[in-house]
Amino acid sequence: MAAVQVSEAEKVYIMHGVRDDLRLDGRGCEDYRHMEIETDVVSNTDGSAKISLGHTDVLVGIKAEIGKPKPMVPDEGYLEFFVDCSANATPEFEGRGGEELGMGLSNTLYKVFNNRHSVDLRSLCICPGESCWVLYVDVLLLQCDGNLFDAISIAIKAALFNTRIPKVHISEDEEGVKEIVLSDDPYDCMRLNVENVPCIVSLCKIGHRHVVDATLQEKACSVASLLISVTHKGMVTCVRKMGGGSLDPESIFEMTEAGKRVGKALHAPLMELLQKEESLGKKRQKVGFLG
Amino acid sequence: MPVDTKRIRGPEESQSPLLFLSPDKAPKASSRQGVRGNGDVRPVFARCGLISQAKGSAYLEAGNTKIICSVYGPKETERKDETDMKTGRLVCDFRLAPFSCLKRGAWIQGSEERDMSQTLLESLQPGVCLHRYPRSQIEVNVMVLENDGSILAHAVTCASMALADGGIEMYDVVLGCALRQNGNACLVDPSYSEEFGSWQEGYGENQGCVTVALLPNLNQVSGLNADGEMREDTLADAVRTCMDGCHKLYPAVQQALTRAVKKKAPPPEK
Repeated sequence: MAAVQVSEAEKVYIMHGVRDDLRLDGRGCEDYRHMEIETDVVSNTDGSAKISLGHTDVLVGIKAEIGKPKPMVPDEGYLEFFVDCSANATPEFEGRGGEELGMGLSNTLYKVFNNRHSVDLRSLCICPGESCWVLYVDVLLLQCDGNLFDAISIAIKAALFNTRIPKVHISEDEEGVKEIVLSDDPYDCMRLNVENVPCIVSLCKIGHRHVVDATLQEKACSVASLLISVTHKGMVTCVRKMGGGSLDPESIFEMTEAGKRVGKALHAPLMELLQKEESLGKKRQKVGFLG
Repeated sequence: MPVDTKRIRGPEESQSPLLFLSPDKAPKASSRQGVRGNGDVRPVFARCGLISQAKGSAYLEAGNTKIICSVYGPKETERKDETDMKTGRLVCDFRLAPFSCLKRGAWIQGSEERDMSQTLLESLQPGVCLHRYPRSQIEVNVMVLENDGSILAHAVTCASMALADGGIEMYDVVLGCALRQNGNACLVDPSYSEEFGSWQEGYGENQGCVTVALLPNLNQVSGLNADGEMREDTLADAVRTCMDGCHKLYPAVQQALTRAVKKKAPPPEK
């Protein structure tokens, strides 16, 4: 991760502040930074979203392609994740530098979506055993200022909401050869139900307290953090402990409870915002990139 | 993606015969028959000092899961650019042998294995006194010979035994335990068939797998990995059950380590 060098005196200052529920920029321990979300930013994709959380910028593009379903589950489609750490973010990511971080992020995303309820995979099936929709979710990190997981998961939820998959049907001709026929109307699309898509909350342990949405300086002061992904109903889909330090069992329980509370509170305003944005339709002002 | 050019691979469109297995033969993962109860860990066989070339090594068998680990070091760090001059580095490599699972795996490390190496590193790091080995690195290589469930948990235990056998200074042994949550039943230390069950079960409520790495004497959790979809209270109970499972493993690990130490440095003859 792009790291900043923090001196011992600064670390003590940050820890004392967190102990009194006051962070460097005046937030409380469980407050997020200012977040801006915009969907439908890239026209070549089937769904896209851009999020900027403080100084972290993430762009997600989703493309739907027809592929062969996995042999063990012939009546479901699947999602493929790929995270690319762009060299725009920091010079460390140039060439293959960001590959390790990117692989770690993609693996965590696979774990988060590794359950039957997040995305209805059965709706992605076209012909059981033969063809299905494969959603390629590509994440691009444009700017890195801590809290990548949260930003990526919110962007993925927004992009999935924005995704429009063309409607296809199977037609059989006289010889029994199956053919996939695309509907004539380009606006005839299938939308995904993103109610159950989880959001990731990362909590960093600083001293005896935990903080949500840590910046790079706060990350440098913490030895361990807990990543928890929560759906709108409060179900937990993935928990991971990251970092080289250890955690007390009591603080783990405290952090999972706080993470669940914060995560659950994130979903309702997000869905409201996405629906409002969609309802504006053509009248919507497009902000664009790094604006 | 790196391609394996040294081996002749089979046809592209081959399918595993397991797909054609009739559904009633697949065992149900809700309760256990036989001697082992839902909350019992499998009896463990552990020995240290098997690999003569390595500084420290350990072999662990739990049910049919067989894991071997070797530790090399401390030696000079390869990457000098990122070294923190005050502490050492731990490098973990987790590999599954191609014949270890039901379906043949590839020799090249896949993304799952890299992910598990990272989790193994994060679980072991709090236990090792890295500040005693400045500018050095300690290599931990774990190889799973047979995968019969809970490999990450047992790999953590095996690796920490190998580190202790190699004389690396540690705060405490790190023990791992895994659990499979299936609806309202939880199975501790699941075997492969219990861990994966059948895909149809995935549509039920409260399904998931939890792996916990614990430092028993300090009562600190150094690794936590939970998958699937569970309620938060179920998750908390699962973590507590895993911690109990770790404590149950502790005597076997202690015994193996004392035996290895006695073999290396036998008590003086009277």
